[in-house]
Amino acid sequence: MAFLRRKKPSFEGGGLVLFEDVEDAMRAEKVLRKADYTVRLVAPPPELRAGCDLALEVNLVERPGIERALRENDAPYVRVVPLTAGTSRLLEIVKATDFGEQVMVRAGNMKLSFDKKSGTIVNVSGGGCPDIPYLHSELIDRKLTEAPRPTDIGFTLCGLMLDRALEECLVLWQGGGQR
Amino acid sequence: MLIAGTVPIRDFPLTVGRVAAEGEDLVVDGRRIPCAQGTGAMISAALAAVDYLKLEAPQVVVAGDIGQGKGSREIYEYLIQKVSDISPQVMVLHYCLPIMALMRRLCESIQRCPRKVLTIADAGSMYAAKAAGLAPCFDVFTPDASEMAFLADPDATHPAYVARHLFDADTNRTPELVAAAYQHKNAARLLLVKGATDYVVDGGDIVATVAEPNVPALEAVGGTGDTITGLVAAFVYAGLELHEAAIIAARSNRMAGKFAQATPATRVRQIISQFQAVFKEYLCQWSGVCYAIGEQQ
Repeated sequence: MAFLRRKKPSFEGGGLVLFEDVEDAMRAEKVLRKADYTVRLVAPPPELRAGCDLALEVNLVERPGIERALRENDAPYVRVVPLTAGTSRLLEIVKATDFGEQVMVRAGNMKLSFDKKSGTIVNVSGGGCPDIPYLHSELIDRKLTEAPRPTDIGFTLCGLMLDRALEECLVLWQGGGQR
Repeated sequence: MLIAGTVPIRDFPLTVGRVAAEGEDLVVDGRRIPCAQGTGAMISAALAAVDYLKLEAPQVVVAGDIGQGKGSREIYEYLIQKVSDISPQVMVLHYCLPIMALMRRLCESIQRCPRKVLTIADAGSMYAAKAAGLAPCFDVFTPDASEMAFLADPDATHPAYVARHLFDADTNRTPELVAAAYQHKNAARLLLVKGATDYVVDGGDIVATVAEPNVPALEAVGGTGDTITGLVAAFVYAGLELHEAAIIAARSNRMAGKFAQATPATRVRQIISQFQAVFKEYLCQWSGVCYAIGEQQ
């Protein structure tokens, strides 16, 4: 007779939260589980060790929401990194396109466009995570200076890249002598 | 045709049913979804096309998710359980939190369907499929330029972590990125790469490019990539070959942008509202199947 074995739920997160010590890792695990994130305590690969042999595997896409939850709960961590080698840094490429009355700023896979005269956000495009349509609805028709920051209300890497685009738009807008 | 994706409404429950257009919204099982960037725009475009072609409206599976993943998980779990019963002819997976383990289970369920399901993925579903090494299980991906770099990078699990030398690429390097994506088995059978020039790639071979009409502002209009995906799905559902569907979708989207005189401030529903006029004027000419495209005799 074969034994029935309960299959463990599989988890492939793609990201690691690194900590200074084991205690911090354990605390972060509790905080994130309470916030309904799927996480797993793991040993980080040698090249990613930062003084502690315990790390937390997370879904990398959820990095902004995870970092916010840790900060809000005073759970110290060193940084969040991808598990795969060679891609440990977020894209820093930001590019602006002038359409005449509007400027479109692209940061990574996200684009934000604003009206040059009024500083109003007229569009958000790109991305594929579920907070992007939400951020789209929250940002459109808002002044750049009054819009909520995607890092405050978004949860994913797409939201993080959108925040970078907004930051660059603010620089362009304020650098253009507008307030 | 079955379309699945999240909608940006907190606490919107998992909802399944035939979709209909009502005013500026979509309605599924009595619940309203805005025709805005994301799954709403994609469904609206697909609906516009099947309506014109006198085909059955898509069945949709939607759930509210503003990025926390709850609605995404509900959609994955529903599809994992039900897809083999539904066994759709065409299935589109769209905005969802990329969760590799759930995408893996979903692909296994799709493969258990009693008939071949033609699978199309875009947005977060495409990210999950690629990151989990499942891209070859899909028939169509519709990446934009930055997502093409993501597919070309064997290590990236999200477009925000693409190697810089790949991301620097403008569309004139698209063929190089396409080759890398196929080499690393990170591409669907057919790619429609959206950009200043759209590339249609079948099995690694670039079979067509579409560059006209040139409406640069479309890049800034949120949802115009989503509409292309919806159009591809509808044309495939109508019986066109994958590459034909992709070419006509790319042309239709550009022409709708031209008809709408798109600027970066244009809303995607203004583009979608032009599709009927575009189809009426061009679809017969582009597709060559005029008898079946809803033209009045």
